Amino acid sequence: MSSGIGMVLSIAKDALAAQQYGINVTGHNIANVNTPGYSRQSPVLEAKQPELYGGVLLGRGVDTTQVLRVSDQVLESRLMQEKSDMFSFKEMESYMQVFEGLFNENSESSLSGLIGDFWNLWHDLANNPSGTPERIALYEHSVLLCQQFNALDGELSQLNTDLTNALGGGIEKINEITAEIARLNNEIAGQEVDCIANDLRDQRNTLASELAEHIDMKIFEQSNGSYTIVSAKGCVLVNQNESYDLELNGTAVEWHGSGSTTVDITNYITNGKLGGWLDMRDEVVAKYQGDLNALAEELIWTLNQQHSQGVGLTAFSSITGTYDVSDTGEALGTVDSGLDYYDKVSDGTFNVWVYDSNGDVSGSAVITVDADPGGTTLASIAADINAVADINASITTDNKLQIDADAVNGFTVAFSDDTSNVLAGLGINTFFQGATAGGMGVNDVIGSSKDHIAAAQIDASGNFASGDNTNALAMTDLQFASRSIGLWSCDRREGNTEGTTTATIEDYYHAMVGSIGIKAASISSSRAFNEVMVNELKTMRESISGVSLDEEMTELIKFQNAFAAAAKLISVADEMFDTLISVKQ
Amino acid sequence: MRVTNTIIYDTIKLRLSKITEELNNANTVVATGKRILKLSDDPVGLAQGLNIKSALSNIEQMGRNITLGKSWLAASESAMSQVQDVISEAKTLSVQMANSSIDDSERLSAAETVQNLLEELVSLANTEVNGRYIFAGSETDTTPFNLESDNTVTYNGDNYAFTVKIGKDATVEVGSDGEAVFRLGQPDDVFRAFDELKTALEDNDISGIQAAMSDLDIRFDHVASKISDIGSKMLRMEMKENIFQDLDLTNTERLSRIEDADITEAILDLQAKELAYQAALSSASKVLQMSLLDYM
Repeated sequence: MSSGIGMVLSIAKDALAAQQYGINVTGHNIANVNTPGYSRQSPVLEAKQPELYGGVLLGRGVDTTQVLRVSDQVLESRLMQEKSDMFSFKEMESYMQVFEGLFNENSESSLSGLIGDFWNLWHDLANNPSGTPERIALYEHSVLLCQQFNALDGELSQLNTDLTNALGGGIEKINEITAEIARLNNEIAGQEVDCIANDLRDQRNTLASELAEHIDMKIFEQSNGSYTIVSAKGCVLVNQNESYDLELNGTAVEWHGSGSTTVDITNYITNGKLGGWLDMRDEVVAKYQGDLNALAEELIWTLNQQHSQGVGLTAFSSITGTYDVSDTGEALGTVDSGLDYYDKVSDGTFNVWVYDSNGDVSGSAVITVDADPGGTTLASIAADINAVADINASITTDNKLQIDADAVNGFTVAFSDDTSNVLAGLGINTFFQGATAGGMGVNDVIGSSKDHIAAAQIDASGNFASGDNTNALAMTDLQFASRSIGLWSCDRREGNTEGTTTATIEDYYHAMVGSIGIKAASISSSRAFNEVMVNELKTMRESISGVSLDEEMTELIKFQNAFAAAAKLISVADEMFDTLISVKQ
Repeated sequence: MRVTNTIIYDTIKLRLSKITEELNNANTVVATGKRILKLSDDPVGLAQGLNIKSALSNIEQMGRNITLGKSWLAASESAMSQVQDVISEAKTLSVQMANSSIDDSERLSAAETVQNLLEELVSLANTEVNGRYIFAGSETDTTPFNLESDNTVTYNGDNYAFTVKIGKDATVEVGSDGEAVFRLGQPDDVFRAFDELKTALEDNDISGIQAAMSDLDIRFDHVASKISDIGSKMLRMEMKENIFQDLDLTNTERLSRIEDADITEAILDLQAKELAYQAALSSASKVLQMSLLDYM
């Protein structure tokens, strides 16, 4: 090709095209100014290979070799990691707000207020042990207290279910994202045989970032441009154009590999929303639900233990225990008996008193309890009590102890001085029934007659008085008695362990509420810290890859002017042709 | 640094949402007057607050217990001092009747008076507070003393004293084992002294009357010692009551310091936040308006 006027035209044509590309790219940038994850693009212009003509190298104009996207993949990856952390805390924070609300101690029905009033009502009963209003008030309040424990336990279980449901939703989303990334991998690998697939890569990064919001992940870019994404416990979510699904199996998160391989990755997920939900469910909710149960268990036991030492206004004509055994032939002090409070039963004795229709002692017996294996069983204790005249002891069909006095002849029965705790263990003459926060209630026996609230104690000769407040006073002593109460620590990797702490019932609960507050505060501050990090990285990413309209406007003017100049070049070439042609005429 | 439009928008969004949140918090503090609105606001303070609240509730209960105890003690004291009056009256009567110038019929009518005094004594021993017998031990629902037709007195209560709790580990016996108070069946039985005086009067037995006189002195001293015993318990109750009143005050103050917001500070804070919000809004509106397009 000569360097004639044709060359000028050719240069002008390429220049027009190049500037037009420039305007195209600028327009694309402007159009995507608000597209999340978009990286600004810029055309790479190169001077064409010059040509030797007449001993000089003459330039041949411009060429647009490619359109590059301005992006820092290292920064993108860090941003994804930080986002992953932040979303974990963000989810925990939002669930923690619900959780905190459950323990809102400013409200009237707060558990701490109810517990405080509960003790006060025992004081009131001690002040007037035979008073019916005091007995009814104590009963009604105790029902309320139990209901509050039940409700809290129910709310925590609900929270647990909600979190598992959230996991299900999250997993569905993850599967959608990974399938889409696998599809994009395929497209990118196809397109990048020729040039860089800028927009698809941006799309894929946006999806990867969204994936990081849900779960731990690491990206490895393959030589063909496709992403391999690896999640918790090294499980591959995306490889080339294949994606592998996660699935919720009951409460566990499982990874389904090729073939029928499944891996339980539940306890290995630490980041993203899933990590947050799992931490919340299996560490926070699990711990405090465990603690609440430990508290209820101890409150029930302590009250029952003291209550079973006392006597109400009247003895029992018939009483059935509230706690059942699984095997009537196993010693009550052993786990094999299946008794809820088997560990509290010890070697000791208790007295059985039988009263005639005048209320005078007509018979008594001392029952000895051996807690060790091979010792006292439900069957043997029933037989021992049965041997006492005018009362009848049996085992109900649901394996509870039932004691009936000869009611026809007006006999009644009562108990005292239990050093073995077996009566409280079997739920005979107890205040509460149940052994968990969810299952606790006031003993039905007391529900049907408030006279059975034991404010008095039986003396050495079997007598008891309606005005005696000895046992009610002993109940009020429990308020300030420190005891060993279970304290849970829940860790998804290390497992859950129940330790103990020594505290009064109230102090334990106050410490528990305080600890929930501390947990919530620490989650919030972690979230805030991560958010600052994410925002900083986002700004850095924006600063590199984001579109600045001012810049694009300037670019637009630049390309527009260059386009005008290139057009001018054509008109100059045209004039040159005209000049040449006119010479010939 | 290269600043893009998104950075400007995001920064404005972030700042405004932060300031709105702070403004809202400041406003809630002012509106509620409380410093701690949720557990995480101050978990340590909250746990302390709960401890103080439960202490306050206990103090209130102790106050009620003490009031009840005091009413029992006051009733006991008044009954016992009336018993003292009855004894003095009998004593005065017996001094008169020991005089040899008194004739049979006067002694007989004095015996009648002594019988009335004995009956009054029994009724005093059956004193009630809010329907509960205070000299019946723990059988507070049973009339403890019964004057039989042969002028002997029987006791239907028991030997445990009714007790109230006035502190974590402090209990005070406010009711009494009536048998011990009136020395029933003992050599210095209060009721029997009256019966003996009555018999001596009926029998015109001057030496018997004189013996009864000195017996009455012993009973008088016994009752006096009971009264001073009750008085010292009353004093103990009052001291406890004062201690609890002080504790109530200090705990209420502590609770307020933990829970309540300093209103002046809260309002100043709210105003500062308002100012910051307005400044942020006006700077945002200026920045957002600027564009190179305006100059093209």
